[in-house]
Amino acid sequence: MDQLTEEPKKLSNDEIFDVLNQFITEVIGEEFVDEMDITPDSSFTKDLEMDSIEIVAFSEKVKLHFGENINFTGWLSNMDLDEIISLKLSDIINYIRQCQ
Amino acid sequence: MGRFVFIVPPLTGHINPTLSVGAELLDRGHQVGWISLDENLGAQLPDGGQLLLIRYDQNDQEKNDSEQYLDIITKKIVYGIESIKFLYEEVLVPLNQHMFDGIITQLDVFEPDVVINDHQLFAGAAAAYLKGIPYATSVTAPAAVKMMEDLPKIHEWEVNQIIALQKELGIEDEKSVACSELLTMVFTSRDFFGDMELPEYYHFPGPVISHRKKVIAFDWEKFHASPAPKILVSIGTTFDHEYKKDFFSKVVEAFGGEAIQVVLVSDPDLFPEWPANFIVQSRVPQLDLLPHLDGVICHAGHNTVSETLYEGLPLVVIPIAYDQSHVAGRVVASGCGVRLNYRRFKARHLKEAVHEILSEPDYKKAARKIGASFQAAGGTGKAAELLESLVLHKQAVTLDK
Repeated sequence: MDQLTEEPKKLSNDEIFDVLNQFITEVIGEEFVDEMDITPDSSFTKDLEMDSIEIVAFSEKVKLHFGENINFTGWLSNMDLDEIISLKLSDIINYIRQCQ
Repeated sequence: MGRFVFIVPPLTGHINPTLSVGAELLDRGHQVGWISLDENLGAQLPDGGQLLLIRYDQNDQEKNDSEQYLDIITKKIVYGIESIKFLYEEVLVPLNQHMFDGIITQLDVFEPDVVINDHQLFAGAAAAYLKGIPYATSVTAPAAVKMMEDLPKIHEWEVNQIIALQKELGIEDEKSVACSELLTMVFTSRDFFGDMELPEYYHFPGPVISHRKKVIAFDWEKFHASPAPKILVSIGTTFDHEYKKDFFSKVVEAFGGEAIQVVLVSDPDLFPEWPANFIVQSRVPQLDLLPHLDGVICHAGHNTVSETLYEGLPLVVIPIAYDQSHVAGRVVASGCGVRLNYRRFKARHLKEAVHEILSEPDYKKAARKIGASFQAAGGTGKAAELLESLVLHKQAVTLDK
């Protein structure tokens, strides 16, 4: 956990993916994640079957972790309904990469 | 005395609170009507209540066609955020388009002093707005309001759907008139709703769950014979058989033969047989049952959650669609229960969750606290008072003219 709370340096795609994967695990529970095949291509609503309150909880974690460096909540709250429905892990990875 | 009219969609969860408030208004000597598409509503109305049924000419093919969406909400499989899109595009917008002309006709017949529109019957608000009748809004799904804060773009999308519809109905304004700026009543307490800045016309009279006149047969003898803890399992009125099969088979696996008395709301024919410790009925006297229960498992529909917390009982919530995810979020945040994910949960999670809420006293303590906040919020009496103030408002406006 320690490396997750440090100031993030320039992370690679894989490193960001690992962080996000950890947050997904915290939100939906380890035993469920074990049964899933989470990839950057996974969508939050269809593949991970997250409902709105889980997506909000996940975004809180991303916000807390990356803090000042990215305006994650602002980015997410600008998405319309269709964009949230089709949101994938890779979209978030790309956004974080851009902000670094 | 005043003339009040409720405009309701054909959805049980949205109708029940109006029956309670309407009964209170009738007790206070007012005239009260209900504008609805559902002729069966007549039998549920409190004594003295008037059903103002929307009926269109049988030859009007367009109107008859659009009546089909009435079935859609119970038949289509919807889940999560996508269900919001479905709700607006396939249910609410066609429903409101369909009802608007009939609402106008019934307002002309009844000549109310005050209109009370359901927050999802935008056409009711639009009709009152166009006719210059003061209107109040009944918010029976408060999580929809909270959505503004959590997912603002989704809320904005919803508002845009409403504005587009209003334009069709003849209102040019670029803002939604769906929630009245005179009085919007949110049927929960501030404590359960959670922190959020809202305009002063939002009032929180608490859940309004008195005055239901229907007597429902129930096997009380079998129920009371069991010394085991008692739980109610319900996923409300809007989900179809596929959901119920999927959901209830896990309930059977979790509690069949266990030392727990289960009351389950379902068509008993859903499965060929049920475990001996289950009482299964398609309708149960929920309000009469609650005082004898130890906990409730439900889909986090706002009414069932409110009724359960009113009794100070803990919950296991398993939201399926619409605003239920947010209601479930409030149950967890206020410490009144445990939440499971509908798509992921298995029988053993349900068993663990029920064990948790029944054995850990903090859940019950938190539920009692919310229950007390509901009682302090004023209920039907408070709601009736707020509505009566609008009749005075109307008289003042008329005098000014």
